[in-house]
Amino acid sequence: MKRGKVGRMGMRNQVGVMAGVMILLLAWGSASYSAELDLEVGDPRTMTFDPVEFSTPEPERVVLDNGLVVYLLEDHELPLITITATMRTGSWLDPAEKVGLASMTGAVMRTGGGGGLSAEQVDAELEQFAGDIHIGIGRQSGSASLDVLSKDLNRGLEIFAGLLRSPAFEPARLELAKLQAIEGIRRRQDSPGSIVSREFSKALYGADHPTARESSVESIKRLTRQDLVAFHHNTIHPNGMLLGVTGDFTKHEMLASLRKLFGDWQKGAVPELKIPDVSEADMSQPVVRFVDKDTSQTHIRVGHLSIKENDPDYVALAIVNDILGGSSFRSRLFNDVRTKRGLAYSVGSRLYTGMHDQGVWMMKAETKLTSTQEVIERFVANITRMREEPVTDAELAEAKEAYVNSFVFSFASSSAIVSRLIELEYDGLPKDFLQQLRTQVIQLTKDDVQAAAKKHLHPDRLKIIAVGSGDALVKALSTFGEVKEIKLTPEG
Amino acid sequence: MRLSGLAVFSLYVVILSPIHSAYASNSSLAERVVEHRLANGLTVLMVERHQTPIVSINITFAVGGIDEQVGQTGIAHLYEHMAFKGTRTIGTRNYEEEQPLLDELALVGNELDQRLREFDANGAGETDETRATIESLQERFTDLQAKASEYVVGNEMALLYQRHGSVGLNASTGKDLTRYMISFPSNRLPLWAAIESDRMAHPVLREFYKERGVVMEERRLRNDDSPNGLLFETFTSAAFRAHGYGIPTIGWGSDILSLTPADTEAFFKTHYGPNRATIALVGDINPREVIPLIEETFGKIPAAPPPPPLVTVEPEQRGERRVEVEFDAEPAILIGYHKPTIRHPDDDVFDVIDALLSEGLTSRLHQKLVRDKRLAASVGSDASHPGARAPNLFVVTATPLAPHTTTEVEAAIYEEIERLKREPVSQKELEKVLNNLDADLVRGLRSNSGLASQLALYQALAGDWQYVLTSRDNIAKVTAADVQRVATQYLTKSNRTVAVLVKKGSAKPVAATPALGVRP
Repeated sequence: MKRGKVGRMGMRNQVGVMAGVMILLLAWGSASYSAELDLEVGDPRTMTFDPVEFSTPEPERVVLDNGLVVYLLEDHELPLITITATMRTGSWLDPAEKVGLASMTGAVMRTGGGGGLSAEQVDAELEQFAGDIHIGIGRQSGSASLDVLSKDLNRGLEIFAGLLRSPAFEPARLELAKLQAIEGIRRRQDSPGSIVSREFSKALYGADHPTARESSVESIKRLTRQDLVAFHHNTIHPNGMLLGVTGDFTKHEMLASLRKLFGDWQKGAVPELKIPDVSEADMSQPVVRFVDKDTSQTHIRVGHLSIKENDPDYVALAIVNDILGGSSFRSRLFNDVRTKRGLAYSVGSRLYTGMHDQGVWMMKAETKLTSTQEVIERFVANITRMREEPVTDAELAEAKEAYVNSFVFSFASSSAIVSRLIELEYDGLPKDFLQQLRTQVIQLTKDDVQAAAKKHLHPDRLKIIAVGSGDALVKALSTFGEVKEIKLTPEG
Repeated sequence: MRLSGLAVFSLYVVILSPIHSAYASNSSLAERVVEHRLANGLTVLMVERHQTPIVSINITFAVGGIDEQVGQTGIAHLYEHMAFKGTRTIGTRNYEEEQPLLDELALVGNELDQRLREFDANGAGETDETRATIESLQERFTDLQAKASEYVVGNEMALLYQRHGSVGLNASTGKDLTRYMISFPSNRLPLWAAIESDRMAHPVLREFYKERGVVMEERRLRNDDSPNGLLFETFTSAAFRAHGYGIPTIGWGSDILSLTPADTEAFFKTHYGPNRATIALVGDINPREVIPLIEETFGKIPAAPPPPPLVTVEPEQRGERRVEVEFDAEPAILIGYHKPTIRHPDDDVFDVIDALLSEGLTSRLHQKLVRDKRLAASVGSDASHPGARAPNLFVVTATPLAPHTTTEVEAAIYEEIERLKREPVSQKELEKVLNNLDADLVRGLRSNSGLASQLALYQALAGDWQYVLTSRDNIAKVTAADVQRVATQYLTKSNRTVAVLVKKGSAKPVAATPALGVRP
């Protein structure tokens, strides 16, 4: 591969992020250019390319008088507009006897009518012009979105604002949502994958912790319309909301519409997100548990609690995880358990981190009953190796290159750019957080990686959860500690 | 070469002025696609989008489970896995030395597979001598496998892509098509062309037996341990008795365990010619650079002879079929009707029926079964199960809301189907269907990978990516009378297959239809 040729393709890409005219000139100019290309493409293993350079458009941030934050980024390629709302609420606020309240409030904000329209009117009108609205409340935030053709913006936005500000929570729709939630609970134990994920989370945080707890048939039955009205009234406020607007609009008109629809919404007391840490004693306790279910595979999760995203070791540990099992084809667990041994289809590790609760680091696989023990042994062997030996130069270089060269995908669309900024503001992180991570990745050494593995991967604290069948499973697991059974209740 | 200067020019006009008319007319998509066909039959579709220096590429081969022979089910999917194992240069330390080991491993592997099948068939009747033979074969096999593995550079192809910043490297196999997708920074196109043309011409099936084990685990995960997976597998094989659509794409377990490297390589040679492939590239590319690059790489691969014709036609169904699957899970129901596929005018009518019945909160099944009667927790439908290259099924799915049963849900579904036959659909409902289809077409242009996928899909399936637009125009012409006629003709009791997921250990049998009081 001749660098000259690649270099010119690289140059073209640098102007590619600029609009229109320049591209036109270059494209026509390249008619003779392509004729002189040397198309001996060569060996892909030794090819080198110019760095991926790109510039991203900067969204505008506006704060209305009532504290509502709005990010705007125009993008006129397609006649579509998307508006997202991120809300400082969440199921961490659920009272212990009413777990499921936040989630139910989000669901019925969407389906129960509002803004002076009945539920049926909202559904019929939106679907007639192919407008999409979603509203949901998760553990640590609420989110809503409106997706419309730009010609339908005004009506779509009116309906959206109505549902967010003054949801009607029609009793029939609440009743239906409760029935559906209860049916969901009844079906929780159907799939082994769902069981193992939920039991693993409970083993890490404790069954009553806001990050792991689950609704029950009783807690859902207790919910009243008044509970939902109060939850909405108490937790959803303009000064706890961030809007992200992208697509085919003009900023001036959009801000005028938003001021008209949201401007007179009064500020309220926004809940401050606080999630308790798990005690050191519970965190350090190793655990081996299984659920007996008639399956052909054992569904396995192994891991423990981990750091938050603002931890100084975050980048090093993220690269540890990437090399260990986070990077699919490239990772050690994939190569060892899947490629070399043929023991699992889906195998790897994950590092889930946020800003508000302790993160989770875990390894997962599904394998036939007879290879269960071998797979868990490989898990343990691989984390031991991560701690005891430095990673190879090639592994670290590959991990860095993969991160740096794919960095552009974090900015691949207007909506990705805006939602990134909103997430960072929501979490109290600086807006160039990603760029800071990138710089740290580039500077990382093998020593940094090994030190992070030693400090943050704990073979003596592993929580092992398995869903599978029979006595053979218990026997396979007993190599790793005292095995206890988790008895599932029929109703989730 | 069909690259038209006009098409390229019109794109720049599009970029400079927003295409506000996209939902009124689909011409904008037509103007943005640059089409090129190589002498060896390879089709290339390109759309330029220069906002970000990235590109998404979808390579779709018109081969899938439908092309398999009896006893080799799952081979299309296994080949897709093997396509990630490298070539004569990628994934090996020394192919010349590796190759004889792979050949010998295949011989021993065949022998071992054969002996193990016989052993399983004879069971306890086997002699010590047979056991000893198997054990010694197993030793030789393990030894050869270890030797061969010394030459392997594990997952090198994926590693190269990842190092160069690729995301979304994956592949999928269906009954009709096999698809390979990837996105990466667009200045790395030469890397892609080198790797992909090499794998289209010279794949090496190394680590075959390990990957067969991986596929067995995939089968367990997707079909054996998944209530829905097993229900769909059982349902589809009950609905198709002759046609290959009745066989699960992943294959039957016993077939997977009997697949050989030689069979798999033969399958590749028969079906993976460039003339069976479409490459769709969407992103920051310039067709004037892409075309020569593809000509110089993929262009050197010779076309393959036409594949064996697909001759089996599913005989007309002459009576309702009912099957059950027992599982440690809550109940669910699937109902399917045989129907014609793309290029038949009734197929477009089924797209309308599909939307009327289950698209959105105002769809008929959702309104009646979920909202009004509160019989079901969820409902859904699909107008082209399990593929679209051959006549297929219109499928309705539902999960009952306890304490209601699949029997009650089934009866309520039939009521809605009878209503389609009885009452003409309102103009407003038809407009809603079309509005949503048009909006989906515009939304489909949002992501590079989504658009690449759509273009390659219709090119491979219908022989023309513009089918996505033709079909939209045909759907726009569907009338209330068409809906009534098609519902009456196809949605009949004798043409349907019903599959019910039954909670294991629950004594209640599935009620037969006469008890429902509905006679479609």
